[in-house]
Formats: sequence, C-alpha cells, structure tokens
Amino acid sequence: MTEQVRRADDPGAMAAAATTTHADSAADVADAVRSARNSGTALRIVGAGRWSGAGSPAAGVRAALPTLSLAKLSGVVAYVPADLTLTVRAGTTLAELNAVTAPNNQWCPLLAWGDDEGTVGATFATATAGPCADALGRPRDIALGVEFVDGTGATVRGGGRVVKNVAGFDLTRLMVGAFGTLGVITELTLRLRAKPQVDLSLCVQPARHRPDSGSARLGASALLKAVIPPIACEPIDARLGAAMGLNPGCVIVRYGGNRALVDAGRACAEAVGSVTEIGAGAWSKLRALDPHPRRIDRATVASSVARRIKQRFDPSGVLNPGLFGEPA
Amino acid sequence: MFPWSDADNSIVDPLIPVLQAIVGARHVTSRPSELLVYENDGLPGYHMRPRLMVAPGTRDEAIAVVRALAAADAPFVARGAGTGLSGGSLADGIVMIGMHRTRRIIAIDPVARTATVEPGVVNANLTRAAAPHGLHYAPDPSSQTACTIGGNVAENAGGPHCLKYGVTLNHVVAATVALPDGEVLRLEAPRNDEIGYDLLGAFVGSEGCFGLAVDVTVRLTPNPAVICTMLADFMTVDGAAEAVSAIIAAGIVPAALELIDAGTIAAVEASIYAAGYPTDAAAALIVEVDGPVAGLDDDVAAIEAICRNNGARTVRTATDPAERARLWQGRKKAFGAMGRVAATLAVQDAVVPRTKLAPILRAIAEIGRRHAIRVCNVFHAGDGNLHPNIPYNGDDPDESARVQAACREIMELCIAEGGTITGEHGVGLDKLPYMDALFSPDSLDAMCRLRDAFDPSRRANPGKVVPVHRCREWMAAPGARP
Repeated sequence: MTEQVRRADDPGAMAAAATTTHADSAADVADAVRSARNSGTALRIVGAGRWSGAGSPAAGVRAALPTLSLAKLSGVVAYVPADLTLTVRAGTTLAELNAVTAPNNQWCPLLAWGDDEGTVGATFATATAGPCADALGRPRDIALGVEFVDGTGATVRGGGRVVKNVAGFDLTRLMVGAFGTLGVITELTLRLRAKPQVDLSLCVQPARHRPDSGSARLGASALLKAVIPPIACEPIDARLGAAMGLNPGCVIVRYGGNRALVDAGRACAEAVGSVTEIGAGAWSKLRALDPHPRRIDRATVASSVARRIKQRFDPSGVLNPGLFGEPA
Repeated sequence: MFPWSDADNSIVDPLIPVLQAIVGARHVTSRPSELLVYENDGLPGYHMRPRLMVAPGTRDEAIAVVRALAAADAPFVARGAGTGLSGGSLADGIVMIGMHRTRRIIAIDPVARTATVEPGVVNANLTRAAAPHGLHYAPDPSSQTACTIGGNVAENAGGPHCLKYGVTLNHVVAATVALPDGEVLRLEAPRNDEIGYDLLGAFVGSEGCFGLAVDVTVRLTPNPAVICTMLADFMTVDGAAEAVSAIIAAGIVPAALELIDAGTIAAVEASIYAAGYPTDAAAALIVEVDGPVAGLDDDVAAIEAICRNNGARTVRTATDPAERARLWQGRKKAFGAMGRVAATLAVQDAVVPRTKLAPILRAIAEIGRRHAIRVCNVFHAGDGNLHPNIPYNGDDPDESARVQAACREIMELCIAEGGTITGEHGVGLDKLPYMDALFSPDSLDAMCRLRDAFDPSRRANPGKVVPVHRCREWMAAPGARP
C-alpha cells in the first residue's frame, strides 16, 4: 500500500519481462519506440535495472512489458577536461564515469544514492540525488544537455555542451526526473567539478549526545549553519548506525577545499562535538542504504500541464506506462 | 511581421473597459503617444508598439487580467522593467501586461533563507531587503538596479556571480503561475523526498511563452564573510583568455571572472562610469573570490600567480567596499558606456567552451576587421559566455548591413565551435534566426510541443523563441495562429 519508493535490484522483474531489447544507438532506441507504437504495445525502459519502478501500483504490470535496455548504449562521447564538461551515452555506469574523470582529478559530485553500477541515464531520469547534492548540485543543476527519443520515435536534443545556455525551451529539465515517461534519454552532457585539494570526512558525536535521531538532526543542523559549509552532512539514525557500524545519533560530515578551509571546517566540527576521522568509504555505505526514500508528487504529475506534456511527448503511451499512477 | 499585427482592434478594443474595471482606468494605456515608451526593451534596434498596456497592481489583478484575455482569446506579452536584451518583451499590436506595479516583497524567511516576492520586484531591491538578515539574492544581471525578478525568471537570467552561485533556475524554489487559459498553477522545484516532473524547471527561462508568474519564491544566499576583487591587466587578449581557462582548470571557483577588452575599456574610461581600468592594456580580468576567511588568501595568491604566468602586467587587489564597487561599476555599466560610441548597439550572448576562448576572440576580431566594424568584448569569461558588442549607427543602412552580416558570422562561428547562441539574454526575437542552425527540426518541434502543453491556445508571447515554421502541429492546423 505504501507509495514509498525504494531502490532495489529487481531481477524478478527483469526475468518476468517478455523480451529485452538492448539498444546500441539512439537509432536503435527510435526503432524500438516506433515499432512498439506501431504494434500498439508499450515499453519498460531500464538502464542497469537498479530501480524497481517508483513504487507505483502498476510496477507489476510494467514488469511484464517488453523491456528496452540502455545498458549497452555506453561510453564517452566528448570530454575536454579543462572545460569541465562531459558528454556520455545514457548506459554509461557511474563507475565508468568516475574512471574517466578521476585521472584528471575531476568528478561529477552527485554520488547518487545507490551504487556506482547504476547508469548515468537512469540516475538523471530518476533525478536521484546524493549526499553532496545540496552543496554541489542536484541532477537538475548538473545536467547541461540531453538527447532523447520521445514517444513518437523522434530524436530530440535540448540544451547543449556548454556550461550556460538559455537557447530554446528547457527540454533538459523536462527529462531530468521524468522517469523515462516522456522520452528515453540516450545521451547527457554533465557539468563536472575539480576534486577538492583536500577532502576530509568526519564522524561527529554531538556534545550532549543521545543515541537518537533527534540528537543527530540537531548536530547536522549546527554543522550546516557553521562558518565553513560542509559539502555533505548526514545525520545517522539507529538503522543507518547499525548498518554502518557507527553510533546512532552521530553525524557524518565532509569538507572539501584547500588545506586552510578544510582545517577550519574540522574546527567547526570540533565545536559541535567529538570528532573521528573516517574514510570516504563511509559515503559509499551510506549511499547503498538509501537514507532518503521518495514519494511520487501526485499533485504535479496529475496537473493539467503534466497531462498535456505526456500527451504531446508520448501520445500512444509507449514509455513506462502507469509509472506515475496514470492509467496504464 | 505577425498576421495579427495589422491592429485587429476588434479583439482588443472591447477589452479596454473590461481591463479598466480590473486594474483601474489609469493603469490601462492605449494612446499611441503613451505607448511609445513600451516600443523598446534594452536592445536598441527593435521597435514594436503594443495595442494597449495593462498594469495590474496585485497578484489577483494579474490573474483577473489573464482570465479576461483568455475569455477574449487575445494574445499578450508580459513585461517586467523592459531591460531585456533579446526583444523578448516586445508586443506587436497586441496586449502588453506590464508587471512593474507588482513590487511587493511578500515575505522574507531568514531561517529558511527564502523570499516570496511579486514579480515586479526589482532584483537589487530584494538584495537590499535581505541585507539586514545577512542574506542576498545571488543572480545579479548587470541591469540589477532596474530589472525585475519576474523578468529574471522568464529569461533564466544570469550575471557575473552566476559563475559560482548558479543562474536564476538554481535559485527559484517555487512560483505561482497564471497559465494563459486562466488556470492558476503552483510550481515547485522537486524536493529531495519527492518524484515528479520538473515543471518549474521547464517554466524558468520560457521567455513569457508558458504563462505569467504572479508570485515567485527564491532562495537567498548568506553574504560571504570576505570578498576580494582583483583586477589583472594583460597586453594580449590571448593572455587574459588563457588565464581564465587556467584558473578554472586549477579547481578554483571564483565568485566572478570577467574579461573586458581594450575597446570596452576605452568606452568605459571615457564615460562617467570610469573605473580606473588601464587604457593601454589589451584586456583586463576582474576576478572576485569570496567565502569564509579560511583559505581565501591561498586562492588569491594562486589566482595572482596564474595571471602573472599568463602575462599579466599588474594585478591589483581590492577588499574595501568603495574600491570594489568602483572596479565593478565599470563592468556593470559597460553597455551604457557604449552609448557614447554610437546610438545603436548590437549585443550578442553566445557561450563557447572556455578552452576555445582565445582562438574565438581572435576570430571575432578578424570578422570585425573584415566588415569594418568595431567589436567591443565585455563578458562572463569564467562561463565562456561572450558578449561581443557592436556599437553602430542604426541610421546608416550600409553599416547596419555590415553589422548584421558580422553578427551572423560570429554566431555561426560559436555554433561551429560547439557553443550556443544565448547564455542568459534569451532568444526572444533577436536570436530567432539562429535557432535553425542550433537545433534540428525534431528538437524545435519538441520545444513547440512543450510550449503547447502550457499554452494550447498559443496566446502567450507569440512569435518568440522558436521559429513558427518549426511548429509542425501549428502549421498543420488550417487557420491556426502561428
């Protein structure tokens, strides 16, 4: 009954799918969409298959649909490190993305909830944020341009490959978070950042600490208000603490910048409580635990404008039907 | 230009008493002499006269006006302060909704760091109102002392400090929007705990084609503890452009990183906005860093070293507010200062990859020489957002033709180098001819479909942003309004 959305591997759904088509190119995607449309069927769009489907009651129905997988549509299209922009095909995994940018000391600082086996396309289609999103950018702030195939089979580009762009209506923001219901993302251009010179992760045990989430929230709030803003800050409740081997009621916090800035950040943390240095691996553990489940924003997806957008971008209901609870 | 521009007064004239009843007689302007002031925006060279201008004073009046226009099936254009640089708010014989009277700051929440404002609030006035809380509104178009938040939302406006803080899109958290059919819709940025379409993201930057924002909630940004503004001057434009790329590549994110070339320096220094820029330099960079005290000196030292390695002659550092304000004044008033050079100004807004700045600036200079026109550059170098400005005599048909030819060549060059035609000014009317070169017919058609979802009757700011011939459904429907 719950509408809460949880990320999960979904092998059952994959196995139950009638057929799976692997697209190797945007043209393959367009062919698949057109042929589905012509034959009156619909498609379930997946990247690496890491999402179980927005918690929609229709998820079970969707699992039986023919699947269009983007996992093989991967690789870098363009990367000029000094421009801090990267264009990749949608099926590129976050791990592959990291491997390309790391040698240049750059990153896409999204660190999306889940793990690095997920694809770039799915991460942005689902607008999956991560612990650094509030400080360094959410998916809508990071995506500069998009190529997608809409529900009519048309291949469309929005935005571009430069860091600032207002040419034309914003199809990029339209695609980010639409869960593939308006178009199948085939390529994305992302804004990268230089990795911080110094990157420090700390576990902070707030003074007057109690082993509950209230203590953690107060601690996190104090850290966020301090003179040096952290690049990530997450309160640890009982569930997360048990899974991560940390005391419930503590906060994990991350500072990035030059040495003087990060040292000042550590001093801010020490003013909030007792501090232990932890490795960056803690963030991977936290990401896998998916601490921020989401719900479908019914008012928005059912609004008049949203219904008209769906009608105009996917008039035959080919793309992920029923995912947002609309009649499948 | 538009089929309805031959003053189809049979639609508009019966509206006058209806609109007067909503906003009061003195806020409906229909005499041609009084409408003269609404013929232009901030970009000289385009003139269009609205049939009438209606200025609602409140949110409810604005909604009522939109509903009255919907009932009459009348097209309209919304306008803030008329400071736009793309001809986007010009109305050709149709109704203009002037939002300049809706200038109330509805609420400032210093804890949540947000402000809710009416769309006619002037950008700089919001920052002034937030100052007692140690906050400011970060996007700062150079017209910030005049331009409105509503206009900023329509254009997804930028500004020098968007390099570090992001453009308007990144600062709008919600808006109440009157759709052209009169429906009032609340649009919110997707929250971390929600899933859904980013309709607000689509609305911001839609250039008045999706509807009318009647209130806007924006994020306010804490004022930095320290601000340090540097001026570095170079004997070659290449040196300045290479320094820009090197600063960004070093991982430093300055609050702003602006390039001013010799032509612009000459215009500024000869004007009342003189800022003390060295007039014998080929280019100068304004680099600003801000943030907590800790670590800032290291960034300043690193930037100075990079500038000197790339041939900077001098690097001046200003931290006191008066000296900083003077350095910025020349930059922010540069467009105005060009009024001394010639009466008309072509303003471009292309964005190119930062690493190609030096060769592209050389190529632009060559295009200027070839057409015997004067190109003055003053731009957001850290974003690669060029503003090649061309002052010219608009009454001279030969010079005007050369300027038009040069503008097209500059645009084609920027597109060929992987750039875009506008970074912050919008397409409006001015960039419309270049949309075909940038986007495929399928992409332009998709944009038309998105617009159609917000405005199925196609009455909001008609004829702007996407060339009409690219909207297939529109062209297919016989007798359809373009």
